[in-house]
Amino acid sequence: MIKFLRTIAGASAILILSATPLLAQDIPAPQGDVLLTITGNIQMTNVDDQLQLDRDALMALDATTFETSTIWTEGVHSFQGVSLATLMEALGVTEGTIIATAINDYAVEIPVSDAVEGGGMVAYLMDDAEMRVRDKGPLWVVYPYDSDPAYRTEVIYSRSIWQLDRLEAVN
Amino acid sequence: MPDTADQRAAAGRTFAVLAGLLVIGAILFLAFNVSREIRLLGSANSDNVQWSLAQTEVEFLEYRRHLDADPVNLSALRRNFDVFYSRMDTISQASVFETTRADVGFSDTLRDIQLFLTASVPIIDADDADLRLLLPELAALADGIRPSVRDLATAGLDIFARESDVRREAVARTMSQLAFALSLLIGTLGLAIFYLYRLIAIVSRRETQQKQTAVRLNTVIGTSLDGVIVSDARGRIIEFSPAAEVIFGHSRHDVIGRDIGQVIVPPHLRGAHDAGMERMRTTGEKHVVGKGRLKLEAQRANGELFPVELAIQSATTDTGEIYIAFLRDISARVAAEAELVAARDRALAGEKLKTEFLATMSHEIRTPLNGILGNMDLLHNTTLTPDQARYLRHMETSGRLLLTHVSDVLDITRYDAGKLNIQRVAMNLGDLVQDIIDSQSSMAAQNGTALDWGWDGPPQVWVESDPDRLQHVLMNLVGNAVKFTRQGKVSLTVSVRADGQGDRLRVEIADTGPGLAADLKDRVFDDFVTGNTAYDRDVGGTGLGLAIAKRFVTALDGQIGVNSEPGQGCTFWIDIPIKRVTRHADAVETVRSSGKIAPLDILVVEDNEINRIVVRDMLQAAGHRVTEAHDGQQGMIKAQSHAYDLILMDISMPVMDGRTATRLIRAGQGASANTRILALTANVLQDERAAFLEDGMDGILTKPLTQAALHAALAKEDRAQTAPRAFDVIDSQHNRETRDVLGVDTYDMMRSRFDADMGALIAELTDGAGDPAAMAAAAHKGAGSAAVFGAVALRETLKQIETAAKSGDTDALPGLIAALPDLHRDTIAALA
Repeated sequence: MIKFLRTIAGASAILILSATPLLAQDIPAPQGDVLLTITGNIQMTNVDDQLQLDRDALMALDATTFETSTIWTEGVHSFQGVSLATLMEALGVTEGTIIATAINDYAVEIPVSDAVEGGGMVAYLMDDAEMRVRDKGPLWVVYPYDSDPAYRTEVIYSRSIWQLDRLEAVN
Repeated sequence: MPDTADQRAAAGRTFAVLAGLLVIGAILFLAFNVSREIRLLGSANSDNVQWSLAQTEVEFLEYRRHLDADPVNLSALRRNFDVFYSRMDTISQASVFETTRADVGFSDTLRDIQLFLTASVPIIDADDADLRLLLPELAALADGIRPSVRDLATAGLDIFARESDVRREAVARTMSQLAFALSLLIGTLGLAIFYLYRLIAIVSRRETQQKQTAVRLNTVIGTSLDGVIVSDARGRIIEFSPAAEVIFGHSRHDVIGRDIGQVIVPPHLRGAHDAGMERMRTTGEKHVVGKGRLKLEAQRANGELFPVELAIQSATTDTGEIYIAFLRDISARVAAEAELVAARDRALAGEKLKTEFLATMSHEIRTPLNGILGNMDLLHNTTLTPDQARYLRHMETSGRLLLTHVSDVLDITRYDAGKLNIQRVAMNLGDLVQDIIDSQSSMAAQNGTALDWGWDGPPQVWVESDPDRLQHVLMNLVGNAVKFTRQGKVSLTVSVRADGQGDRLRVEIADTGPGLAADLKDRVFDDFVTGNTAYDRDVGGTGLGLAIAKRFVTALDGQIGVNSEPGQGCTFWIDIPIKRVTRHADAVETVRSSGKIAPLDILVVEDNEINRIVVRDMLQAAGHRVTEAHDGQQGMIKAQSHAYDLILMDISMPVMDGRTATRLIRAGQGASANTRILALTANVLQDERAAFLEDGMDGILTKPLTQAALHAALAKEDRAQTAPRAFDVIDSQHNRETRDVLGVDTYDMMRSRFDADMGALIAELTDGAGDPAAMAAAAHKGAGSAAVFGAVALRETLKQIETAAKSGDTDALPGLIAALPDLHRDTIAALA
């Protein structure tokens, strides 16, 4: 099943690659506050060699939702955002590492291999509400911890970066 | 031993299984432990908590630094405040800090910081102008809480250090357990290895044992004197032992694989052998196998047949059922057995010859003795000087002793030849004992010995037993006691008592004689045993008297014994089963040698002149009239013309023997045709006696004739003569004698014939068609037959019919004939 999904994902990636110029035009330069700045080896940019995404741009991408508990919060919460898989597809990134950096310059490395269906996402809504900086917002990389013990590891916890504002794709 | 090995193997298996389970358990336990450890390490629900706490202070200081900046960047200040706020929010909520929050100091500090945040938020959230005015206140708040932030970080460090210790200890404990479990595992494995080693040792030892057993078995089979042949289910030889090679003359090499039937079974048994093998193969039914030892015939390689003893057993092997036969050549044994049988037959024949020789010898000795003793008896009636009288007494004593010895030998011979017939008749015990005492009293008086007898317990005069044997035994015992006792006392005690099975007669003869030596006591009843030789010479004896007594008592199903102490006298006793009876008319009374007898007219037929004179003189001395005849023919002629009261008839005579003469007298119409005839003979073998009676004799007098015996016979005759004419149906004594001499089988046969003859006779007479002469002849013949059985009434009636027929007294005939059927019936009933 997973293999099958990967094949589909791969096929989609090729499709996206061929349509890059079109997609670049689809994500215009941000009108509101920039929530996420993506740099590095990416196939799509909108401001110089960066891809700057405001809330509208993020929400325009295919959204993913799941419910899970986290070790940092009480109870189960629902999260909505762009899955890492979708985001990497959009960026045309298929391999390498993403360096994710928070508002306070806390940075972690997330391998592109994490970008799989049912995997982690860049969440912008928690319990259908926007997240403030005080609530680990505005963006938080979360994984579906409850769905798989593999997501309840030290490494995954360390990749669950909150108050995210930058991504850099490196090889 | 195999049992123990099996038990050990079973215990070993159990142990192995248990050890295996233990190992598996230990492995599972370890796997569980390790996986738990991995899970604990892997799913660290802790994040980097310490870093987070340290980060708290960093973020707080960052916020504080922005407060001091000049000019203050409000946006950055707000962002740094939010970052710190978020951090504190996380610490307050995150589950990873749950244990940390449980610490009182930590939670207090946390509350202080939250209060600080709550106080700062309105200021931070105010518009830029207000915020700038309130910056000093924010700074004051921040400075106020700074120690708390620091405490939080350090408190966290302490808690985590403690937790870390606990965790380390837990890990150490787990590792210890792991080590222990591993030791256990290694130990178990070690045990398993040891056990396997043991198993291997046992298996190898068992293999060795099996090899030794096989070698031993082969040796046993190889050295067995019995031939061992093993065949498969189809009868093909698969083993042929060295002994079998020797017995059958086949070599093992030649017969292996061949059919056993063709190799060792003789041709005439092969059919049965093949059928037996076929039956076992098809039905499994076994007739020979496992049935123990059998004797059969077998064949050697050279065709010789010989007897074998064999046992066959079957066993089931991997290749099917096999038969193991153990065979032994028993030709030598069979030959030896045949030889033994032949030897025994020869011995038996020799024994028979000896018995016949002894009987003949005793007869030959008794005949001349008869003459000697008879003449000495007569000599007493002549005038003798005192010396002559003394010499005569001595001669008589010696002569009688010699006669006793001959009689003893004859008795032994008779008993050992199995010719001793025991009778059971009613008899007067008191009279019998009294007679014995009387006959011995003069001898006792000569020795100065008192002789008496008495009853122990209530007298039981009439009993049923064999008076002749009893008299013989008691006479012997009393005679011995009197013989050996000088100046003493001999007492005879009789008692009849009931025991569990019936009545028993016990007679004890106690004397005050010299007694018996201990060694003699044990063998006093053996043949030819005598006591002190010198003393014996004085009293005499063959050493057969007690041996005969013992034989008689044994024949009567009784016991005989002796209690004795040397010098204290001895007590002989007999104990025999008897039956109490009440007196009845036919009972035998011991003949008393007293009373006067009316003079009789007697014919003595005897060829031996001496004997004839002896008898004549004895009879004449008693007052009888005697006519002599020198042979059977003379006797017969005299009997024809004169009616005698009694005829004494010798058996062996020239011209005509006594038996022929008797038959002719009985068959003829002479004057003495119905006279009582007594045989006078020294020949006393039973079968001959029977023949005499069949010839028509009425009794037997044994030579040498004594005055007492003659007197007794005459007294009986006298009684018969003087008895009233109302006849008894049966003269039971006569009948008993007949039965005695004939033997039961012959007697029964003759009785049946007599019954049938009499029936035919009665039918003939009743018919009345015959002429008087024929009727007389038939009645005469019938009377003769009746006489043989002692059927007195029948005989007398028939005699009357004969007389009536002869004299033409036809009026008397119908009445007499009419009485016959009843008499016939009664007689047959009495004879049964």
